[in-house]
Amino acid sequence: MIFEWKVAVRFLKEGKGQTLFILLGITVGVGVMVFLNTLITGLQDNMIDKAIGDSPHIWISGDADFYQLKDTGENSQSARGNFTVKDTSLGDWELIEEILKEREEISAISPVAEGNGFVTKSGQTSPVLVRGVDLEKADAIYKINDRLIDGTASLHGNYVIIGKELAEENEIVVNDLITIQLANGTTQTFTVSAIFDLENKSVNSSWIFMDLSRAQKLLGLRNKVSRIEMQVHDVFTAEDVMTSIANRFEGIQAENWMESNASLLTALQSQRQSSLMIQAFVLLAVTLGISSVLAVSVVQKSKQLGILKAMGTKSRSASRIFLFQGGLLGIVGSALGAGLGIGLVKGFLWGTSLKTGVPLFPLHLKAGSVIPICVLAVAACTIAAFLPARKSSKLNPVEVIRHG
Amino acid sequence: MDNVVLEARNIKKSYGTTVKTEILHGISFSLAEGEFVSIIGYSGSGKSTLLNILGALDTPTSGEVLFKGQEYGNMSEDQLAEFRNQNMGFIFQFHHLLPEFTAIENVLIPTWIKMGNASKKHVNRAKELLELVGLKDYMHHKSTNLSGGQQQRVAIARALINNPAVLLGDEPTGNLDTETTEQVYELFRNINKELGTTILIVTHNDQIAAKSDRVIEMKDGNIIRDYYNIQT
Repeated sequence: MIFEWKVAVRFLKEGKGQTLFILLGITVGVGVMVFLNTLITGLQDNMIDKAIGDSPHIWISGDADFYQLKDTGENSQSARGNFTVKDTSLGDWELIEEILKEREEISAISPVAEGNGFVTKSGQTSPVLVRGVDLEKADAIYKINDRLIDGTASLHGNYVIIGKELAEENEIVVNDLITIQLANGTTQTFTVSAIFDLENKSVNSSWIFMDLSRAQKLLGLRNKVSRIEMQVHDVFTAEDVMTSIANRFEGIQAENWMESNASLLTALQSQRQSSLMIQAFVLLAVTLGISSVLAVSVVQKSKQLGILKAMGTKSRSASRIFLFQGGLLGIVGSALGAGLGIGLVKGFLWGTSLKTGVPLFPLHLKAGSVIPICVLAVAACTIAAFLPARKSSKLNPVEVIRHG
Repeated sequence: MDNVVLEARNIKKSYGTTVKTEILHGISFSLAEGEFVSIIGYSGSGKSTLLNILGALDTPTSGEVLFKGQEYGNMSEDQLAEFRNQNMGFIFQFHHLLPEFTAIENVLIPTWIKMGNASKKHVNRAKELLELVGLKDYMHHKSTNLSGGQQQRVAIARALINNPAVLLGDEPTGNLDTETTEQVYELFRNINKELGTTILIVTHNDQIAAKSDRVIEMKDGNIIRDYYNIQT
């Protein structure tokens, strides 16, 4: 082995121009793969984060039909005006919340009591959605504190937090009094403690955060909540986590972001596939390049191989010389390529942050994605050397010696 | 003879599959330990083919080749490679050094093939051999920077590194001028005397043939003369 290695290294060293050329090919190939992979992953993470980073991934509510079957109590179905509303509120939500807290994959849990209503301010009326929450818990999902444009977040006493658009439309500022009228006729006056901007126009113009127990009372929910909202650490496990939650509890209805964002998911998937396709073709081009250069090299070195064989080098050993060359080129090329890829990523971050001071979107170099690319490239280079290696093992020393 | 090193028994060799051309028509002879033998004959007489078969580079179509009484004509390719490495030293007309390596590295290649790497002992032996062929000062020169005669002497040192029983030369002086040819002959004679290595060379050079112990003359795939020179 040491002997073949020695010869392989020497062949590569002596054929400097050829070696540098082929190394450049591998380096560029691996560099592009690393960069593309990081770019697409970063882009997708950014898109997902933008789309669902600050909203619940899974939410559960009561199953109206289930409760209707279980008890024919007052809350299961009620008539409001001339239409029927199915009650989907959750009764034992505190117990459910306790159980959900123990699941490691869930990062945030927030029970919500919500209901429709109107806000009246100086004669103007706007439709709103009252969301009774525990501020700390809701903040974990919606990052309310980070996205206030005015005031200090508080839901104590009569305080509520309203959205930017609602405030602008009704000319409401912090510490103003607003009157909220709910669908069941309850009317109460609140003080605005802060104004949020959740970067969503319909949310900004309709949501009002209120203390949970206050909202429960106002909405006539007693000790029930409308739903429990959750976030999970890995957004792509939402479907599985939801299924296991749905199986764990009776009488609940669970939904997740993947169902409501199916088109986003399809787009992400096709983007990922096209990125993989490009990478596969880059790898193929690199492999074919190495294979042809090594094949030429076998012809160039046939005299040397003939003499090595005459002196007792076995065929297997002769082919190993070329496999080692392929592997060695792969290792060095991958290392340089990883460096180039990292350089390209840094360059991208630097280049896109020139104007604004912040990169277009964050990119994270992960060893978990760079290393597999390098391993794959080394494997491809070794495989590329197979054909030339076979050729060298079949070389007949007598032919070489006879023809000088 | 009880000290026979190489023996050929009715060796035939033909090439081609559809149209068979027989190059050797049943060659038999034996080579005693320590002999210095020249094979002469016109081009196409089958000299090189015979040498390649004796050197285990090629296999006979029929007949037997024996090394110290052991048949090796029907060994597998790998076994033949190992056999060559350990028992045969080759010297070719076109020197065939590896241009990527220095003189001493070229000398050590058969050892590398045998053991993977060379120990200090082998490196010292390579140095001794280079001294023997008069190239001590050129040890670390790339083989491409050596003259034809120097390259051939490196090739001789390389052929000797694994202490082969037989040294086979296919026109080892074919590419050299008269003076260098004389030097190379002296070297062969020296090796033959001091190390007791059996030497078999194919040559066109009458002087070398005249100076060897025994001459085998071939024509059209047959041995037509086999005689001993009277030593002066």
